Amino acid sequence: MKKKDPKADAKGDRKGRSIKDKGQKKSGRLAETLYNCPYLIAVSVTAILVMIRSDQIGVKAIAREFQGAAERIESCVSAETGGPNMENPDPVPDREAAAAETDSMEIDPENTDSINQNEGTCKDEKDETTNDKELNNDNADGEDTAGDPENSTENTGNIGKSEIDSEKDTPKGVTRFELYAPQEIDSYYYSDAGKVALTTEYPYAKENISYFNDAAFLGDSRTLGISDYAGLDEADFYCENGMTIYKILEPEGVTYQKTGDKVDLSQVLKQKRYGKIYIMLGMNELGYGNTAMYLEQYRAVVEQIKEWQPGAVIYIMANLHVSREMNNLQTEFNNININDKNAAAALLANGTDVFYLDANPLFTDAEGFLDSELTFDGVHLYAKHYDVWRDFLMEHAVQTGDAAGEDAAQPEGAGGEDAAPTRDAAGEDTVQTGGAAGEDTVQPGAAGPTGENL
Amino acid sequence: MLFSSIGFLFRFLPVFMLIYLIAPARFRNLVLLVGSLIFYGAGEPYFVLLLVFSVTANYGLSRCMFRKPPFSGKARGRKKAVWRRSVLIAALILDFGILFVFKYWDFTADTVNTLAGRGILPFLRLTLPLGISFYTFQMVSYQIDCYHGTITEPAGFVPFAAYVSMFPQLVAGPIVRYQDVESRMRSRRIGVRNLENGLKLFTAGLGLKVLLANQIGTLWNVIMSAGAGSLHAAVAWLGAAAYSFQIYFDFWGYSLMAAGLGKMLGFKIPENFNAPYASHSVSEFWRRWHITLGRWFRDYVYFPMGGSRRGRLRTVFNLFVVWACTGLWHGADWNFLLWGMLFFVILILEKNIYGERIEKTKVLGHLYTLALIPVTWVVFAVTDMKQLTAYLGNMFGIHGTKILVGIPQLIRYLQEYGILLLVCFLFITPFPSRIYRRFRDRWYMAAALLVVFWFSVYEIMQGSNNPFLYFRF
Repeated sequence: MKKKDPKADAKGDRKGRSIKDKGQKKSGRLAETLYNCPYLIAVSVTAILVMIRSDQIGVKAIAREFQGAAERIESCVSAETGGPNMENPDPVPDREAAAAETDSMEIDPENTDSINQNEGTCKDEKDETTNDKELNNDNADGEDTAGDPENSTENTGNIGKSEIDSEKDTPKGVTRFELYAPQEIDSYYYSDAGKVALTTEYPYAKENISYFNDAAFLGDSRTLGISDYAGLDEADFYCENGMTIYKILEPEGVTYQKTGDKVDLSQVLKQKRYGKIYIMLGMNELGYGNTAMYLEQYRAVVEQIKEWQPGAVIYIMANLHVSREMNNLQTEFNNININDKNAAAALLANGTDVFYLDANPLFTDAEGFLDSELTFDGVHLYAKHYDVWRDFLMEHAVQTGDAAGEDAAQPEGAGGEDAAPTRDAAGEDTVQTGGAAGEDTVQPGAAGPTGENL
Repeated sequence: MLFSSIGFLFRFLPVFMLIYLIAPARFRNLVLLVGSLIFYGAGEPYFVLLLVFSVTANYGLSRCMFRKPPFSGKARGRKKAVWRRSVLIAALILDFGILFVFKYWDFTADTVNTLAGRGILPFLRLTLPLGISFYTFQMVSYQIDCYHGTITEPAGFVPFAAYVSMFPQLVAGPIVRYQDVESRMRSRRIGVRNLENGLKLFTAGLGLKVLLANQIGTLWNVIMSAGAGSLHAAVAWLGAAAYSFQIYFDFWGYSLMAAGLGKMLGFKIPENFNAPYASHSVSEFWRRWHITLGRWFRDYVYFPMGGSRRGRLRTVFNLFVVWACTGLWHGADWNFLLWGMLFFVILILEKNIYGERIEKTKVLGHLYTLALIPVTWVVFAVTDMKQLTAYLGNMFGIHGTKILVGIPQLIRYLQEYGILLLVCFLFITPFPSRIYRRFRDRWYMAAALLVVFWFSVYEIMQGSNNPFLYFRF
C-alpha cells in the first residue's frame, strides 16, 4: 500500500496549492503529499506491520493458506490414485475402525497441554495433522467405506435403533453406540466419530417438575433456552451465550439466571448442594480445540463436580444437532462435529452417577438434521418447543435415595464417595462393554447419520 | 468475496491497488476488469462465466444498435427505428430472461403449480448468482440509454465490461448508470487525496457494517429464534427495531464501502442513502433510501409509462406496477410482493390524503415514519407467511399461544444491547454524516477512523476464527 505515495506527483490538488507547488522542489511536494494523507499512511503502515507480525492475517497465514492448498491438491491426487481400492463396501471392519478411534481418543489428550489457541497455532495444527493422518491410516486399514460419501449416504436412510432396542437383557446403565461408516474429515477440530451415542440405558422414572427443585443446569445459549422457556422455575441455571466446557468452572464466572449476576461456579458448587446436575456444553467448542481436548476437559469438569457434589447425579446432555441449512461441512460447524463431541462426552457416562441423555431424536429428522420447522436460525429451538425437552428430562429421571441429602445421597447401587475410583473403573468398563454390545448389534448397512447427511 | 473479510482487506485490495496504480493509465480499465472478474470469481467460480457471457452479449447487442440496419431501401429513418427497437427488445429479453430463470423461475413454477393443482412446471432449484439483480439492471439501463440516445457514443468493450463488473458495486450496488462513470472511464486521475478520502469513506462503511449491523443483527436473530407467536408486544417491536437497524447499517455500510473504493479507483459512485430514517414521511423515506434503485425504477419504468401525467387512475396503476416490481426485485417470494404493495398503499394514501399534513408537523412526521418503517421491514424479513402473521400479531398484542418471551427477557435484551441500540439510534440521524464531512480532514478524524478500522478487523478475525462467535450460542 505504501507504493501509493509516489503517485504524489500525479495528485489532483484542488485547494489551489498547485500554483505554489510549481516553484518548489520535488521533495517538498512529496512531503506535502504525505502531509495530506495521514490516514492512508497510518493504515498502510499499521497494515504492513500487521502483515509482518500477525500469525492470523499476515504473511505467515498466507504461507499457511498456500501450504494448505498444496496439501489438499496433493491429497486429492493421492485419493484419486487410491480410489479404486476404496470402493469395496465391507461393513464388518467398522468395529476396528471405531475401536481404533476410541483408542486414539484416549491417547490424544497428551496434546492437551498445548491447548493455548493463540500461540503456536501453527505448530499445534501440524501435530494434529500428523495425528489425524495416523488416525486416518488406521481407518483406512480397517474399513473401506470411509471417505466414500455416496456409500454412507445410502446407508443413512434407516437409522435403525430397533436392532439395538431388541436386546433388552443387557445390564442397565450401559451407554450404547450405534456405529456407522465414518467419513474422512480433514480438520484440526474434529473427525467423524463413526458412532452415535444413545441415551444411557436405565430404568428411568417419570418424575414431576419438583424433581428439578434441587437441580443445576450448566450450559450455553441452548440451556439458556431451557431456563427461559421450559418453565423449570425452581432449578438453578448457570448458563450464558458462548459458554464452553473450558470456561464453565473458571473464576471469571458464569451468569446465574435467577439473579443475572456472574458467579464463580467453583465456589457455588463447593457451598451449595444439588441432587442433579445437568450439563450441556459443546457448541462453542466446535471451533475451539479439538475433540480430544474437549473430552479431557469434560472429564476434568465431571470429576471436579463429583468431588464437590458427592452423591449428585450428573446428566450429560447431548448437544442438539443443527438444521440442514446450518450444517456446513466447509467449516467446523456441522453435525458430524457435534456428533463427534457428543460421542466423546458420552464416554463419561457410567450408568451409576453419570448419565448421557440424547434429546436429539425428539427434534431431528430422519437424517439427523434439526427439523427446520422447529427453529429459526437452525440452532435454537423456538420457545414453544422447550416443553417437549422438559418432558423428556422428566421422563429420564434417575431416582436418588435422598435427593437433596447432605451427604448420603447415593444413586442406585453404587457405593459412596470412597468408592469413587471403583466407580470410575466400572465406568470405563461400561463404556467398553457398551461399545462392544453396540458392535454386536450393528448390522451391515445399519448406520447412524453420516457424512453429508449429518 | 465480501468487503468485510480478511481475504478482501489484506489480500485482494492491496495487491489490486498496487497493480492498478502502477499500471499505465491506458491499461487501468483492463486491470479493473480483470481484477473485478477475479473478485467475483473467487466467490462464484461458475457464475463468473455467466457474467462474462451476459456482458459480452449485451455489448454485442448495444453495438448493433449503433450500426446501420442490415437491410436497406427506402424510408431508412423508420427502418432504423424498427431496427433499434428490435435490438433493444432482444437485449431486454436476454437480460430479464436470465434474471427470470435464475431468480423467479421456481417462484413462478410454484405459483402456477399451486393454481393448477398439479405439477405443470418443474422446479430448477438454481442458486442465485451473486449480484445478478444489480448488474442486470445496470446493463438494462445502458441498453435503454443507448436506445434513447442518452448515450451517444458506444463505449469500448473494456470500459463497458469494466463498468458492469466494477468490483466496488458489482455485488450489492449502488446501481450506477453509464453516464455517471463515462467521463472517468475515458480518463481519470487518481490523486493521493482520492485515495485518502476514499479509504476514509471505506472505513466508515466497514465500521457501520461490522460494528453496528452485525452486532445488532444478533438481537433480531435471538428474538426470531425464540419464535414469532410467543413474543410480548414490546419484544416484537424491539426485534423489528433491531432488524431495521441491521438492514440499514448493513446496506448503507456496503454502499459507503463501494463509494469509498470507487473514489480510490478514481470514480464517483453516486450516493445511495441520505439518512432515510430521519424522513418525515414514507415518500420522503424512499427518496432517501437506496436512491439509485428508486432512480432506476423512476427513469426506466415509471416515466416511460407516463409517470403522473396521464391522469389520476393511470398514475395509480403506474405506481402499482413500480411497487410490485420493486417488491419482487428484492426477492422472489410473496412477502416481498406484499412488502411492495404495502408501500404502494402507503404512498397512495400519503399522496392523496394525509401526506402534506404529516410533513408539515415535523415531530408527527418523524414519529409516523419511525413507527411505520419497522413494520414494513418485518414484512420484508419474514418470508414464511404463517410466521409473518404471527409476528405482526405479536407486535399489536395478538397472541396465538401464551407469551413465552416477556418482560424478563426484554430487560435482559436491553441490558445486553442497550448501549448498542443507543449508538444505532444516533447513527440514523443525519448528524454523524455531517460531523464526518465537517471534520474529515482533521487529524482526530483520521485517528478515530484508524481505531474503527482495526476494531472492525479485530471483530472480523473473531468471527472468522470462530465462525460461531457471530452467533454465540
